Parts: sequence; C-alpha cells; structure tokens
Amino acid sequence: MRLRLAYATLAGLVLAGIVHIAAVLAIPRLAETDAVTRARTSESLDHPQVIYALSTGETPAPQEVWLPIPDPAVAVGVCAFDLTDGPMRVSARTGPLALSLAAHGRQGAFYAVTDQAAVRGALDLVILTRAQYDQALADDDENEPSRDVRIVAPEGRGFVVVRVIAGLPSQREAANAAVHAVNCTTDAAADDSAKR
Amino acid sequence: MKVALSGQAARLPASAGAAGGLVARFVRKSGTPLLVLYALALGAVLGLASADWATRGGYPFGGVHIGPWMAWPRAGATGADPYTRAVNARRGEVPLAVGEGLLLTAAEDDEGRALDASCTYAIGGVVPPARAWTLTVAGRGARDPDRPHIRDGFTSTEILRRQDGRFVITLSPEAEPGNWLPSPRATGPMRLALRLYDTPAAAGVGSLDRSVVPSITRKGCAP
Repeated sequence: MRLRLAYATLAGLVLAGIVHIAAVLAIPRLAETDAVTRARTSESLDHPQVIYALSTGETPAPQEVWLPIPDPAVAVGVCAFDLTDGPMRVSARTGPLALSLAAHGRQGAFYAVTDQAAVRGALDLVILTRAQYDQALADDDENEPSRDVRIVAPEGRGFVVVRVIAGLPSQREAANAAVHAVNCTTDAAADDSAKR
Repeated sequence: MKVALSGQAARLPASAGAAGGLVARFVRKSGTPLLVLYALALGAVLGLASADWATRGGYPFGGVHIGPWMAWPRAGATGADPYTRAVNARRGEVPLAVGEGLLLTAAEDDEGRALDASCTYAIGGVVPPARAWTLTVAGRGARDPDRPHIRDGFTSTEILRRQDGRFVITLSPEAEPGNWLPSPRATGPMRLALRLYDTPAAAGVGSLDRSVVPSITRKGCAP
C-alpha cells in the first residue's frame, strides 16, 4: 500500500512539473493585463495612446497608469498594430527632446530605434509581415529610394512604444506633446503606396 | 531528487500516526481511483502554485550583479526566457528594449545592507555612458500622503555636478544641500532605479563593473 502511495505521490510530482511548465508558457498568451492586450484599445487611434503622461505644474501624473514603475521623467505612449489590416507606419518628427520607438510583440521587444537614426528630422518606422515586406521591396521606385525603416515583425499583433525624455521639469509639457505628435497609421494596400 | 521524494513519501504515513492509519485504511478500501485522484490533485495544486510563485514579483533568472546594482539585460529582448515573459505579462510591464536603454535597480547599499528609508545615503560617482539617464527612488506601496511630494528622482540634465563631472545625490529623509533626493517614506524598504537611455552598455552588460556605476554609501541612520 505504501509503495502505491509513493508511486502516486511521484506521479503527482511529475504531473506538477508538467503543469508548472505549461502554466508558465501559457501565462503570456492568456494574460488579460499584459501590455499587448491593454495596448489594443489604441488600435483605432492615429496617434499614440498616452499611457504615462508627465505631471506638469499643478497637474499631477495620472493615477490610473498600468505601467508598474514608470520613470517620472519619461512620457510613454503606445500604438497597437494588427498587421492583417496592412503595414503599420509610425512617423515621428525629431525635436529637442530625445525620442525612442520600440516595437514589442508577445515574445518581447523585437526592434528599437532612437531619433538619432532620423533622416532630415523625420523618422519613419514601418512594421510589416514578410509578405508585405517583399511587396514593399517590389514596389520600390529605383530613382526614389524609400527612407522608411522597414522591420519584419515576428508576429501579427503587437505595439510600438514611444518614449520621450524630459530632462528638465519645464520640458515635461513638451514631452507629453511630442508623444501625442507621433503619427501611427495603417498603410493602405500596397498598390496604393505605389501610386503615390 | 528521487531519493528525496521517496523519503518524503515514506515519512508521510509514519509521522501522521493515527490519522495516517485512518487514511491508509480508507485508501485501501476505495483503491486505485482514489490514488489517481490524489496524484492528479497533487499535480494540479503544486504545479499551479509553483508557477504562480515563480512569476510573481521580480524576474527569477537572468539578473546580472554590477556592484550594488542589478540588471536584467534580456528582460526586454525577443530571446527573454519564459519566466521573464510571464512576469512581464502579469505585471503589464513594458521593458526597455535593448536598443532603447537599460534598467538597473538596487535594493541594497555597497555593503549589502537593505536600503532603509530612515537612513541617509550618498549615491555618487559616475554613470555608464548614456545619452540621458534618470535615477529614481521608490518605496513599497503607495506614496505617503503626509509627506510633501518634492521629487522622485534626478535626470542627467538637472543634476548638479562638481568641476570634475562627478556628482553626489544625497538620499535622506531630512533636507540636505546639493542634490537632495527625499526618501519616499518615513520608514521601510526602498528601491533605486537607474535608467540609462540610448546606452552602448545595453548591448553588453559585461562591459559594466563596479567602477562605472554609482556607489551607494550609507552615511547614518535616524535613531
């Protein structure tokens, strides 16, 4: 009897190991409070949804932020993308404040670029699937090379994080405005962009 | 592992005494289905509880110690381990990507004592090369509403430096001259966060050592 109980305990522990691994692997997929799911509300906007606005003057920083420990000197916005609708274009104009764009999927961040990579004050990050990338390459005009930074996303859904650093408290308002000024648009079908 | 398991299993009925005898008789009567049920329940409870424990709070793996500071260089990368991804998903965290910056946190001073809000600390020296950095302090839980909210941290732009470019931040509950960072709470643990933006150090944390990160020295504690 004792032997059978020992076998059952051993089987239970092995099972516990399997359940543990399966649960850890399933959490990012099932989580409802993760950044990808929460960012999805910004999908219909054409500018980033500000998820952490800096306090300016008497206006305190918003309380209902979901970033666990935000940096009090960095304004953060997110643009969610769903590549089945078409490639995602994030255009930012560089200003006096340091700006960075990072593309995240469920697997983690797959690309990041700062405003130092901007060409003539403009930074265009285009996130596309492999098929859309090939299409964009085929549509390129040889005489007018594209200045877009093209990144192939490993998965169809994700979000782009816009961070603007306010070095001084007086720059906070400008940092909030700079996040808002970034454009996030879904590029229309590839043949449209060829006509442009 | 196996030895420990069978040892535990053998001890179980022996130590439980009379209650164990009752259980054993019950098990003998109801037989195999009950044992199967027991194994399934054990697997489910232990598996889920351990998964919850491992993904609650901070990242369990991949931390790199640099003096008193701790960095998780892979936390925001595509190659992050499953535990890190699960922790990020549960907290709703948006980690800094590798090309974006690096987060260093400290919960202890140079001598390994936990940071306490009633003590005064000098944080100073140098910071790894970065385009901008911020150093912030946070206590556990919500901010104390009775304490005036003056500042949470310093940025590289606003800090006062000495002539040689070095700086000292005084983290103290009482006002201090120079770069005074007020303690977030009257008592209790604190945590420092140093965020380096656009830094070459993010690509290889191996290039960082104690001499290029700020030191955290305890100056004294309120009685």
